[in-house]
Amino acid sequence: MKFTIIKDLKQDSLMKPILSSLLFFTLLYLISDIFVKQSSFGIFTQTIHLTLFGDEEQFVDPITQSSFLEFWHGEIFFIMMIVFTLSTIFIRVSNASKSAIVIVNLLMISSIISLISLPLAYFIHVGFIQIYVLTFFVWHILAILSALTSLKGLYYA
Amino acid sequence: MHKAYKVSILYFSIFTLMLLVSGIMIFESKIGFEVNRALAYYIGDKELFLTAKSNSGILKSALPHIFAFALLSMVTLHFLVFTRYRNKSIVKILLYTILSAQFFEIFSPFLIINISDIFIYLKIVSFFIYVCMIPVVLYLLFDSIAQIKFR
Repeated sequence: MKFTIIKDLKQDSLMKPILSSLLFFTLLYLISDIFVKQSSFGIFTQTIHLTLFGDEEQFVDPITQSSFLEFWHGEIFFIMMIVFTLSTIFIRVSNASKSAIVIVNLLMISSIISLISLPLAYFIHVGFIQIYVLTFFVWHILAILSALTSLKGLYYA
Repeated sequence: MHKAYKVSILYFSIFTLMLLVSGIMIFESKIGFEVNRALAYYIGDKELFLTAKSNSGILKSALPHIFAFALLSMVTLHFLVFTRYRNKSIVKILLYTILSAQFFEIFSPFLIINISDIFIYLKIVSFFIYVCMIPVVLYLLFDSIAQIKFR
């Protein structure tokens, strides 16, 4: 994260396109993630419930415990890397403004709640699926907002 | 150190602990912490209908972990450079213990299936060392952060 010590990022002809491409690909990842989850794990309460617990009437088997844990494990790592990279750029580009810090905090908290509610839904109570769905969308929206604001900050501020 | 980065370290610690907890749950669910059960996972067991793992099968599951372990350890350990523990010998001990543990955690299954069953102990011990040492590093980070005033 050497870019955090570059004095004027906006005037750096090499660092600016490098960071822009990272932000652009992060945006693509976040949008693709929503579509991939929609077609596999589910992004709404009913489909996630179906994936986690199956449905005898529809002959849908529930996800196995080991598959679920592997999915959760992978999600933690990916989300961790995404939110940290993004928040570092966002804080740096926005010069650690108050609004940026609030957004980063909300991004972190919502992504953490999203990750915690997933095993709680699987092992403890189905009601946590709703919290997962809500926080899934909150952190995706905040991450997209951070990426777009950082891009705007690099080019138009 | 800016307050925002200190809070970031707190979030990073929560993510890291979640990663460790999920790792422990997967280890318990798939491999097991008992020596016989863990050994059966790698060399197979007819009574439990478990097939022996192959080198390519182990490499397939090791592949993402080679990069992930390295990245997680680097990010976690590099924070220590900015703490008051920087020049203390405990940091070097932690560093080499964690790096060795992660190496054996990833590659000891190859030793189990190709050389001797005895390496199952290495697999279990290295896993335990890794999941115990990372929280120690996180504790040192917080202990150090607590000494610095926010600005």
